[in-house]
Amino acid sequence: MKKAIYIFVACLLMQGLQAQIDRTKMPEPGPSPEINLQEPKTFELNNGLKVMVVENSKLPRVSIQLSLDNPPILEGDKAGVSTLTGSLLGNGSKTISKDEFNEEVDFLGAQINFGSQSAFAASLSKYFPRILELLADAAINPNFTEEEFEKEKAKLITALQAGEKDVSAIADRVESALAYGKGHPYGEFTSEETVNNVTLGDVRKFYSDYFVPANAYLIIIGDVKFEEAQELVTTHFTPWTKASPPSFSYSKPSDVQYTQVNFVDMPNAVQSEISVQNLVDLKMKDEDYLKALLANRILGGSGTARLFLNLREDKGYTYGSYSRIGNDKYAPAIFRATASVRNMVTDSSVVEILREIDRITKEPVTAEELKNVKAEYVGGFVIALERPETIARYAMNIETEGLPKDFYTTYLERINAITAEDITHAAQKYFGTDKARIVVTGKGSDVIENLEKLSYNGKTIPMRYYSKTADISEKPEYGADIPDGVTVESVLSRYFEAIGGKAEVDKIQSLKLVYEGSAMGATIKLEEKRTADKYAQTTYMNDSPMMGVIAKGDELFMKQGGNKVPLPPQMQKDLLAFMGIFPEQGIAASGLAKLVGTESIDGKEAYKIEVPGEAVKATYFYDTESGLKLKEATVISMNGQTQNQEVTFKDYQEVDGIMFPSLKIGTMGPQLMESKLLEAVINKEVTEADFE
Amino acid sequence: MFFVLLFVGSMAIAQEVSFEEYDLDNGLHVILHQDNTAPVVNISVFYHVGAKDENPNKTGFAHFFEHLLFEGTKNIKRGEWDKIVASNGGRGNATTNQDRTYYYETFPSNSLEVGLWLESERLMHPVINKVGVDTQSEVVQEERRLRYDNAPYGRWREQMFVNLFKKHPYRWQTIGSMEHLAGATLEDFKEFNQKFYVPNNAVLVVAGDIDTDKTKKMIQDYFGPIPRGAKIVRKEFVEDPIAETIKTKYHDPNIQIPAILMGYRTPAQTERDAYVLDVISTYLSDGKSSKLYKKLVDEQKQALQVFAFNGSQEDYGAYIVGALPVGETSLADLIAEIDEEIVKIQTDLISERDYQKLQNKFENLFVNANSSIAGIANSLGTYHMLYGDTNLINTEIDIYRSISREEIKEVANKYLKPNQRVELEYLPEAPVQN
Repeated sequence: MKKAIYIFVACLLMQGLQAQIDRTKMPEPGPSPEINLQEPKTFELNNGLKVMVVENSKLPRVSIQLSLDNPPILEGDKAGVSTLTGSLLGNGSKTISKDEFNEEVDFLGAQINFGSQSAFAASLSKYFPRILELLADAAINPNFTEEEFEKEKAKLITALQAGEKDVSAIADRVESALAYGKGHPYGEFTSEETVNNVTLGDVRKFYSDYFVPANAYLIIIGDVKFEEAQELVTTHFTPWTKASPPSFSYSKPSDVQYTQVNFVDMPNAVQSEISVQNLVDLKMKDEDYLKALLANRILGGSGTARLFLNLREDKGYTYGSYSRIGNDKYAPAIFRATASVRNMVTDSSVVEILREIDRITKEPVTAEELKNVKAEYVGGFVIALERPETIARYAMNIETEGLPKDFYTTYLERINAITAEDITHAAQKYFGTDKARIVVTGKGSDVIENLEKLSYNGKTIPMRYYSKTADISEKPEYGADIPDGVTVESVLSRYFEAIGGKAEVDKIQSLKLVYEGSAMGATIKLEEKRTADKYAQTTYMNDSPMMGVIAKGDELFMKQGGNKVPLPPQMQKDLLAFMGIFPEQGIAASGLAKLVGTESIDGKEAYKIEVPGEAVKATYFYDTESGLKLKEATVISMNGQTQNQEVTFKDYQEVDGIMFPSLKIGTMGPQLMESKLLEAVINKEVTEADFE
Repeated sequence: MFFVLLFVGSMAIAQEVSFEEYDLDNGLHVILHQDNTAPVVNISVFYHVGAKDENPNKTGFAHFFEHLLFEGTKNIKRGEWDKIVASNGGRGNATTNQDRTYYYETFPSNSLEVGLWLESERLMHPVINKVGVDTQSEVVQEERRLRYDNAPYGRWREQMFVNLFKKHPYRWQTIGSMEHLAGATLEDFKEFNQKFYVPNNAVLVVAGDIDTDKTKKMIQDYFGPIPRGAKIVRKEFVEDPIAETIKTKYHDPNIQIPAILMGYRTPAQTERDAYVLDVISTYLSDGKSSKLYKKLVDEQKQALQVFAFNGSQEDYGAYIVGALPVGETSLADLIAEIDEEIVKIQTDLISERDYQKLQNKFENLFVNANSSIAGIANSLGTYHMLYGDTNLINTEIDIYRSISREEIKEVANKYLKPNQRVELEYLPEAPVQN
């Protein structure tokens, strides 16, 4: 009984407690947690190396970071020398062979990596002394050999080749090159040609010029005592010869005079990479540095920022749209507002990005936005303290960026003091739509037409074309090479002549074509039946029907098993343009087709005819000499998904006076399939029942 | 030699992640981990639903759902979710894989209650409506383009898994089919929610700067009133063994350098053999002195890159090994070279020194796995939900330590035979002369 009462009371209590929470409102956060900003312990060697140690014994591990805070370096026609130097560092030392070195680092379960002006190592604390020793030895006494050099060079060239179709990598490269110019350290990029200019001697010189201790910082974090670290570092890094790197000055890059689109054509792109960018003079020590950060954050710094909410959440144009503002003590940095968007909405996305940039420079941000963005910064600051690396980073920033000693202890206070007005001023100073460079990297044939019409605030935005290497180039002409007098009609009538003559073609009432090939270990047979206004296609896999498509009148459906699945009306409408014994008859009748240029198909020049459509878009290619069809490329869009198919035709042969390709090579999605003509049957074997 | 000086025994590491776990009456499993060193807290909720729980005609639902559940709840208006997280200085996200869906936030510790409120709202009464479905449908399609269609090598996983699995839902990808999603009705989504988003199918982890007693009370307040759902019955899919090499090709328009990928079907991640396969992949390709890297990339210069990894999953895994050729090297050459190394593991015991090296590597991984509050929360939830043993966070290292050289040889023989694998030639698009 007593127990029962106790439970009863407990239940009441529980209910009472539950009643106290109000789910309809966000609970108020508790008082701000106390921040404890530890400082690293530091010392300096005679050669100039500055050392910071952050003791943290939570986990039995230690990390070591060596950073050289050198001014930017122009590599010019030897661009790639820094990358190669980085790759060649960390391959042992003058006294330890590469294999022994790698073997020992791996054996200890540790890692040591080098960059051209940095090094990093991490290990369990019990192996820290040895790992520090190995790192110092590899950094001070590098093992540069001709053999390794040739190998790294070959790898770098292969990697560069691999990147030539990577749309976002090309976009990044061109965006920087256009912003700074290719003659500036931040604008130049590495190419196969420049890599081939680099010798091992250049690598040695780069190393001896720049891998020097004058601007070097060594940061040690983890389960280690300061005294131990000091002793080990002094022992192993004292031999590093004192020297300063050479310093050069570079011409200051400038923004464009007026806002313009800079377009880079990448025919394989399925998304456009957009960057609306300008240069900014911003250093961490600037009085308005934090204000600029907050302004950028509100505009596009996160998934709650305006760009994201507009382009992703509201419009669904992209998976994400963001902006970034850089800072740099040596040169202007870049402000960029970016998005990767589908081809169709490239122009609209540019407009939305410009609108958001304009809005933040013209209208004050709301009190709520300001409050939230401050909370984000405060939270980010607090959460970052979980990582001991943060303390080291702060100390290094104070040192290298010339910040006041209390920069981070007063950080939260200064964030909280920022006003909406401050944000507007910072936005006006650092972002703008008057002198913006809008770099778009994408598929020209899909996006140029609309981009050229792009206007903002009633003004057309001029467009310039650039190559993948950021050189000014001609507008990609998709139709300039058509000789006079050649038209869609002339190409199609030559095609009919080539396959047997218009008169012969007109006599055909029905046609059955069967092609056979193999894919995925099965025999695939494709049977097509056509009359003037009906079409049936059946795909057989190992002789059993797998799928069929039938079009007649205003019906279009797919047959799979016993089921009839209607296809979208838009597709039905588009396919009307391809009806007939030969699709060319439909194309000629539809009047929709456009002759857009010539292209080389397997070494033969061909006229390119495009048939537009919302669901089905096709491009047909006809040999300029023989008149025969060489290739069909079809893009089918259904439910937001796009599928590309390509078929090339080869070895035409005559059947009953008409020429048919005896070989079709098709790509359908991932598969490449070769199929041979089995049968071409004219005016026989096609009945009404075939279209049911 | 310096090697001799080193003492490398399996020194026990004094490190233990303490935690406490219990069930609420509605079946929600709760795991708490207290660590007050930094004023940071992580709230994570795992739902035991992933792509493998989908209907073959409705693929992509689990991932799509992850997007939908940011659209708002009865008490959180559409578009407010991320703002609430951000305005409390937090950050959060979610991920979906074949086996589970995982939502998490990290906050300064004074906003713990906000996090619990958010996650309890998501479970208790999410709003699933047309606006949300339409918006997220566009976003997911862009995600597909970005991560799969436009990304170099973006479709290797899809192409590999469709060949490795014939019956099991692992044969499709979490991103799913755009057509299935487009054809889905609101009812379908509501049904999915009702079935899988129930407390008895979820694990809540709260880790970091917390007061355990206060936290338990808050959890009861926010999650206690959520009703238990129906028991989830899961189908079992048993694959027939692969008896003959499956050879396949895929052409990716976004690449210029081909790749060869070989995939072997492996057992569930809880099986001891799966751990042994982890060790084998480390042996083959982790680090510059690993067998495949040293031979193919470094010495013979035949490969730009070489990789081997064991993709562990709840029902079956996939062991993938592959490489990108340099210059004139053919994919067939790469296969032969890789096979030679696999045959060595199958024929001879690995050396004592290599064995010791593997032990050191796994010890290092173990230490680093628990380096952040968010990482610990993820491990705790995963070990409970997908391995059935939360304490693996502390004891998994013992499994690796107990694997013998003989076992490595035995497991390599059992799973890594050429006739049991898929050979995927991942190629640039067929050359079209322009």
